Amino acid sequence: MSAAHSAWLDPGPWLEVSAASDANKVNAAILCERPGVAELAVLLSPAAGKYLDLMAHRAQLITRRHFGKTISLYAPLYVSNHCASGCLYCGFASDRDVPRRRLQKDELLAEILALKQKGLEEVLLLTGERSDKADFGYLLDCVSAASAHFSSVTVESFSMTEGEYAQLGQAGCTGITLYQETYDPAVYRKMHRWGFKRDYAWRLDAPARALSAGLRTAGVGVLLGLADPVADLLCLFRHIQYLRKTFWQAGILVSFPRICPQNGGYPPSQPVQDDLLAQIIFAFRICLPDVPLVLSTREKPHFRDGIAGIGISRMSVASKTTVGGYSRAGDGAAQDGQGQFDVMDPRSVEEFCEALRKKGLCPVLKNWDAAFQPPRFS
Amino acid sequence: MNSGMSKGINSAWKLGNHAFESRLLIGTGKFSSVEIMVAAVRASGAQLVTVALRRFNRERPSDDLYGPLSGLPGVTIVPNTSGARNAEEAVRAALLGRELSGSPFVKLEIHPNPHHLMPDPIETFEAARELVKEGFLVLPYMPADPVLAKRLEEIGCAAVMPLGSAIGSGHGLRTREMLEIIIRDSNVPVIVDAGLRSPSEASLAMEMGCEAVLVNSAIAAADNPPAMAAAFAMAVRAGYAAREAGLMSKSDNAVPTSPLTAFLKEETP
Repeated sequence: MSAAHSAWLDPGPWLEVSAASDANKVNAAILCERPGVAELAVLLSPAAGKYLDLMAHRAQLITRRHFGKTISLYAPLYVSNHCASGCLYCGFASDRDVPRRRLQKDELLAEILALKQKGLEEVLLLTGERSDKADFGYLLDCVSAASAHFSSVTVESFSMTEGEYAQLGQAGCTGITLYQETYDPAVYRKMHRWGFKRDYAWRLDAPARALSAGLRTAGVGVLLGLADPVADLLCLFRHIQYLRKTFWQAGILVSFPRICPQNGGYPPSQPVQDDLLAQIIFAFRICLPDVPLVLSTREKPHFRDGIAGIGISRMSVASKTTVGGYSRAGDGAAQDGQGQFDVMDPRSVEEFCEALRKKGLCPVLKNWDAAFQPPRFS
Repeated sequence: MNSGMSKGINSAWKLGNHAFESRLLIGTGKFSSVEIMVAAVRASGAQLVTVALRRFNRERPSDDLYGPLSGLPGVTIVPNTSGARNAEEAVRAALLGRELSGSPFVKLEIHPNPHHLMPDPIETFEAARELVKEGFLVLPYMPADPVLAKRLEEIGCAAVMPLGSAIGSGHGLRTREMLEIIIRDSNVPVIVDAGLRSPSEASLAMEMGCEAVLVNSAIAAADNPPAMAAAFAMAVRAGYAAREAGLMSKSDNAVPTSPLTAFLKEETP
């Protein structure tokens, strides 16, 4: 079954549940032993916003039970910013006037070694939308190169065919991250002006194709700020339920990227403020107790430190969102504002690990081993 | 009767030819720091400590769980294959774990679903068979299935490790009925693994006849992990001692002080 065009993606019935929430329903949802989409709808409601601290306590208990007092860490590695799509909100959109480049082999190795130097063992390779300058073959080479050095390599890139995902897996990739951005078809069409990404259904089915191809994990999410967050998040939850039922061996991860109004760039039509973002994360933790929840360096240090371990179990660290950002430190200033998004938490690995330790959380740099992957033959 | 069973509170039990006094095994994930984990291991008196292969980090000692434990006196490391989703992956992980640690033991964990972490009985059986052939002392984490327990015993596993309830759930001995059958019928040590929340549950598992218990989340998630580890150690000893001392049998009814059958002994008027 394809996820695209499925009736279960209609958030309408659940939006009504959300709108009808009251204090009693919120309390019942917080304590529910087997929460589902109805409880999520309640916990995302304005009524639940008055019970943030109660939700936070519940979220922390659940996080500790399933993930302990640990936070697993990873870093993004942008290998190319060439892009053939026109996403209104993205710093890499093809009509943006930014210098375009892709890492050459020696540059990629320099980036890899720079990340290894920081102690990082889990890396997420990123590109723009598929283009002649940075196509599938290029990405495949990058995965092969990175797999020789990191214990875990995942990819956040364009939507691929099942066959392409299988090739990524054979090259050492363990999973993908791919956000639908918004589940609202009308907003999606408006945001994605041209390029392959304009095909809503093809993108919606990409996580399923990746998991069907044998990749272990799929990270999903919506870009908060583009559309009604409650509607989008309810659809996201239904999408996750579909993936879990269909691919019983798959690991699903959920991220919560948001367009920050204060960042400049694209102005979000429905900005998500800190309180609501925290509420969203607590609600997902309560309703998806055993799913890793991920937070990037789009968020400021005080928010990241505050929410680590209270729902969030996995975080990026010391990120550069420019191509070559790790090894070309001297060019860092020249590249400010030219990344995919502005990094709001610039702390080093050591600084961030220390902040986690002060909170009684253990940073985990290596939580995977290449021994689990089939041997690769080049 | 379980092998290795002998009387006395401090009596040793065996895995293969290796004898141990402590009946508490410790898992090492989920702790807030390596230092607290090591302190908890020390406080527990555990002699068998499991470490996930994926948490071995030779390149970054500050992120490595194996290094700080490998030098602890009296501690034997048991690498585990957590993360493997099939037999092939588990065997590869076990071989690497042995190469890195030199341990003759492997805790075989195969949970294809990374969310609920339930063990796969089919892949576990296949991997166990292979690892026994490779000379490992195999400790398989398994569903509380009495048939599977006997199958794993037959192919040469050194123990069986049925779950009390889901990993990290804290639901205790939800599988008690099945555990009792496994304990009754097993010729190898039965080690309850996963789901224990409180020392009293560990004590109960020992009273039921387990040879040992393995605890991780309940200790790591405690406000004071070393203190909780010590509490579990006491509970395990108490449960074992109580079993050896001979628990009185249960009865639903009070025992009457005036027997109803006294008339049978009375002389006929």
